[in-house]
This record gives sequence, C-alpha cells and structure tokens, in this order.
Amino acid sequence: MQKQSTGYLFILPALMVLGMLIAYPVAYTGLLSVTDNAGNFVGLENFRRVLAARATPIAFWNTLWWVLGSIIFQVLFGVMAAILLNQNFKGRAIVRSVTLVPWVVPGIVAATTWAWMLHTEFGIINYMLTAPGLIDKPIGWLTNGNTVMPVMIAINIWKMFPFVAIMVLAGLQSIPNDLYEAARIDGASFWEEVWYVMLPQVRSVIVAITLLLVIWALNHITIIYAITRGGPANKTLITPIQIFRTAFDGMQFGQAAALSVMFFGVAIVIVFIYIRTLASNPEEAQ
Amino acid sequence: MKTMTIKLAMAATASFLAMSASAWAGQVVWWTPNFNEARARQLVETFQAANPGVTVKLETTTTDGLPQRILTALQSGAAPDVIDVQHAWVNGYAQNKLVVPLDEAVTERDDYIPAALQYNTWNGKLWGAPYRIETHAIIINRGDFKAVGLDPDKPPQTWEAFADAAKKLTVNGKSGFAITGGGEVGNTIFRSLPFMWMLGGGIISDDGKKVLVDSPESEKAVTFYTDFFKNHLSPSSTLENDGTANRRLFIAEKVSMYQSGQFDIQSIRKENPKIDIGVIPVPHPEGAKTAVILGGWSLVVPSSAKNPDEAKKLVAFLSKSENQAILTDTFPARISAMNAERFNDPILKVFKDMLPFGRPVPAHPNWVQISQAYFDGIQRILLGDESVKEAMDGAASEIEGLL
Repeated sequence: MQKQSTGYLFILPALMVLGMLIAYPVAYTGLLSVTDNAGNFVGLENFRRVLAARATPIAFWNTLWWVLGSIIFQVLFGVMAAILLNQNFKGRAIVRSVTLVPWVVPGIVAATTWAWMLHTEFGIINYMLTAPGLIDKPIGWLTNGNTVMPVMIAINIWKMFPFVAIMVLAGLQSIPNDLYEAARIDGASFWEEVWYVMLPQVRSVIVAITLLLVIWALNHITIIYAITRGGPANKTLITPIQIFRTAFDGMQFGQAAALSVMFFGVAIVIVFIYIRTLASNPEEAQ
Repeated sequence: MKTMTIKLAMAATASFLAMSASAWAGQVVWWTPNFNEARARQLVETFQAANPGVTVKLETTTTDGLPQRILTALQSGAAPDVIDVQHAWVNGYAQNKLVVPLDEAVTERDDYIPAALQYNTWNGKLWGAPYRIETHAIIINRGDFKAVGLDPDKPPQTWEAFADAAKKLTVNGKSGFAITGGGEVGNTIFRSLPFMWMLGGGIISDDGKKVLVDSPESEKAVTFYTDFFKNHLSPSSTLENDGTANRRLFIAEKVSMYQSGQFDIQSIRKENPKIDIGVIPVPHPEGAKTAVILGGWSLVVPSSAKNPDEAKKLVAFLSKSENQAILTDTFPARISAMNAERFNDPILKVFKDMLPFGRPVPAHPNWVQISQAYFDGIQRILLGDESVKEAMDGAASEIEGLL
C-alpha cells in the first residue's frame, strides 16, 4: 500500500499537467455550455438555440458526407499507392518521396493554392479545361452547389492519402518473404497475392489508420475554412466549422460549447461503433 | 546553488517592479493599426512636446483578427490605454462596460458627421471618439463607358438606368457590374444593405426589435442586387468574390463597375495605370435618396486602462480638427477637418459627396449571426436554390430567433 502511494506521487506532476491540458478544458466546455456570455446559468437554453439553428442539421449531414467520402478514398488510394510503391522498379526512392509531398505541405498553404487553382476566372484548372476546348465555359467549382463539396473532399483525399500510403507501406515491408514464396508455389497471381497475402497482413495497420483518419476528418477545419468558410449557403459547412464560427465570429461561446458537447457525444458513438465492428476480430479481442 | 536561486529570484522581482513602475509613470499605451503608424508617430511627437509629463507608447496592430485580439485584451483586464477600433464594435464594448465614456474628451459635436457620433453613443453617453469615416461609391472604368457609347460624365443615377448601363457594358467577355457573394459576410452587407435602406427596408429595424428582411421593400432591393448575377451582368465567379476579388477583376479589366471605398484607388492606379478610373454615386430608386453604410474608426479608452486621465488627454488631442486631418487614412469624422489640402483630390469628390448619406449598421448583440443568416439567404438565391421570397422568408425566421 505504502509503495503504491509513492508510485502515485511520482506520476503526480505528469497527471497534473494532463489534468490542466485535457480535463480542465473538457470540464470548462461543459460548464460553458450551460451558461450565457455573462456567466449566468441558463440550463439547456444554449442547446435549444443551437439545435433550432437552420445550419445545424445541414452541417451534420455535410460532416457525414465529408467524413465518409474522405475516408473511403483516402484508404483506397493510400493502399493502392502503398502496393505500387512496394514493387521493385527504377526510381522507386524518388517516387516514394514525391508521394509524400501533399502530406508535407502545410494545410493552409495547400488550401489557399487550391482555392486559386479552382477560381472560376483566374484558376489554372478552368484554363487547362477551356484552352484545348474540353469545356466551353469555365466551371464554378467552388460556386456550384453540386461540385463544391466533392471538390473539398477531393482536396482532403489528395492531402491525406500519402500518409496512408507510407504507413501501409511500412506494414507491407514487414511481411516475411516466405509468405509470398509459399503463395507463388501454390500458383497465386499478383492479385491473389494482394488479396490473400498483403491485405490480411496489413489489416491491423489499416484499421488503426482509418480510426485516425476518422478522428482527423471529424475535427477538420483548415481546408474548408480557408477555401469557402463553409459557403456558399452552408453547402460545405461541417460541424467543426460551425462551432468555430459560432464561437469566434459570433462570440457566442455558450452555444459553441453546447454544440461541441453534442458533437463530442456523436463522435464518441461513431468511434465506438467503428471499434466494435471493424477493429475487433476474434484474435484481437484479448 | 540555493543563493544563486535566491539572487535570480530577487533580480527577477526587481526587474519586474522596474518594468511595472515604468508603465505606471504617466505612460499611455496606444494601439493603432499598422496603416496609421507613420502618421500616429508624427502626432505622438507633437503631443509629447505639448505635454511634458506624459509619454505615449505606440503599439501597432494588424486588422486581421483584430476584433478578437481587442476583445481578449479588454476582457483580460490588461488592456492598453487607448485603442483604435472600428465604429461598429464600440457599442458592444459599451454595453459590456469594457470602455469608459469620453464625453469630456470629444467637444464641438456640431462639427461631426452625425452618423459617426451615433455609432459611438449608447445610453446617452459617448463611448468612442470617431476620427475616421468612409463610405462606398461606384468605381467605374471610364474607357469602357466610352467604348459602349455611354458618357462617364453623365453617369446613371437611378436603379433602372444603372442596370441598363451594366447591361450595355457587359460585352466582349466583360461584366458590367460586379456584386459580391462570397468572402467575409461584411463584404456583402456593405454592398447590399444600403439598397434596402433606400426603399425604407433593412435587415432589422434600427431599434433592433423588428425583422425587416422579408418586407416587400427589402425583397425588392435584394432582387435588384441579385439580378445583376442572374442576368449575367456580374461575373460567373460572384459566389466566391469579395471586395478584393472584385478589385482584382477590375484591375484585370474584366469588370467595368464595382462598389468600393477610396482605399482601392491607389492600388488600381499602381497595378494598372492604363485604366481611366472614374467614381460615381451609388444609384438610387426613382424618387428616393441614395444610401451607404458609414464605416470608419474611433478611439476608445478601456475600463482597465492604467492611466485613463492621460489617455483621455491624448484622445482630446487627437480629436482636434487639424489632428484628425492628419491621422485618418480616408476622411476625418469632423466636417472642418475635411478642408485640409489632402482631401481635395478630385477623384475623392464623389466619396465625399456620399458621406452625408452614410448610415450606421444597426447595433445588436447578435448582429454577426443576424448578418450571417441574411448572407446565407443571398447565397441561396445566387446558387439558384431558392427564390428571393423563399430565401428572405427563411432568413427572417432565423433572425427572429436571434432578436
């Protein structure tokens, strides 16, 4: 008993730092969500107001699309790139480094560059499409309600798939050569190798990365905020941006906190379901 | 080791005391935006020469993120003594008792443009000293006017004539009149709200008690504004354009007319000297007067200022007519200061003529969210998702919940 309490004493400084950095903000957000700007207790008024706002359900559905669209293609392209980079070919080292570029570019720089490239009048993308006559007139990538969200998702995929590729590549390289040899003796084609050797071996890596990607997509702000600020007409408004806007543009910290609390709840449920269904298989559960 | 620590601690305490002492002895800390720096420094020297006991420490701010920075400083209780702020922010500070009244510092009120004082007044007291004002007008490419047979010296006055001119100017891949539909909310508020005022409408009433955005007058004004895009007279990129984007399009000679303030003139002249720039008044409906939003800057003294008396002395000094004429980047808030030589540039004449039509935006604690709801409605119209009526009815029900 004595020994154990001494142990606690040793980790106390670390616990205090953790407490200040994590527990306090979480608790304070909870407190903010039931008070007004002057600090008076208002019960669930902030929750009522934020749920009544027209933008809230829009943001919720947008967030769902954003997360699903981003994750599926990030993982798909990431794994494909990893398998490609795992092959033996000339200049592989250079291709591996170049693949990382989107991930290394700072988010705000990438977003601003994309915003310029996609601009209806000045953008190079419309120029490249109109100059050879592929389309007659420029497309309003960021101003058309049907293209703006897919474009945001595409940028996010471009930004994050290298990360998936590198992590999966690391997993692929740890696969022992015997497995490939055994498969080849059995007459496996390349695709059968991918399906029966590579993917099962890197499954746990993919599962862990997907969870990270889900969390990152759920609290993402940079790309969308820098390009559209959630517009036009809330077509790209996702909940983290709504929280940011409510707090720092509208100065309604109580309502922003209420939205954060609810979002926290939803995020936990999503992550929980994910871990329960995808991340657990008989071997990994204990 | 131990004595070393004690020595260090003592040295730190001593230097801390020395620092705070120097901040107390009649020093006024003044936060001013970086574009004011040179002129502010010049005025500080004059002020210090006239007031030997007081020193002014100038600290420059940048407009990006300024409202958040000031609010944080005001609420933390460690604010400077004088801050340059935009007119529209003052009311919020006053309502939350973050600044002190400046009634003694601002005298000769008859000499001020009334709307500038109105912005800074709450509960019968003056909480900010306005020193700079500005409004929008329409900046035009005179060469484009001549090319399509329009006379730039006889510009269109009414909405109808203006829309006709915009139609004529929309030729050879150029857009006649660029409206904004993207960027920060304020861009579109500044450019569309005055059209509502001209007809007697608005987003909310001046007392902040009634929603006006779905009134027939407001809807007519919104129709006038958004039709420039629907009729293809505003660039196809309108939904991603703010004031700066419109200026770039004007400089690239893709747009013949757009709304802005006098601060754009210099950069147009520098970046494309070929353009023959003209300025015309904002058009008005037949039989009604024009209107614009009056913007600008004021000086406030925070409640937590360390030297409020000296701070007020500085504010009184800066509010003198001749000093306002120096400090302002655009126009001074005092009518007599307008006589200074630098405001006589002929290109400024129309901007000056618009000043008496300048009105303050309504002061409401939820103004940011109210204007966001309206702006979302404008974007729904521009996207073609909703008619003007549907969009403004939707905005009205959102705003209703915010009053």
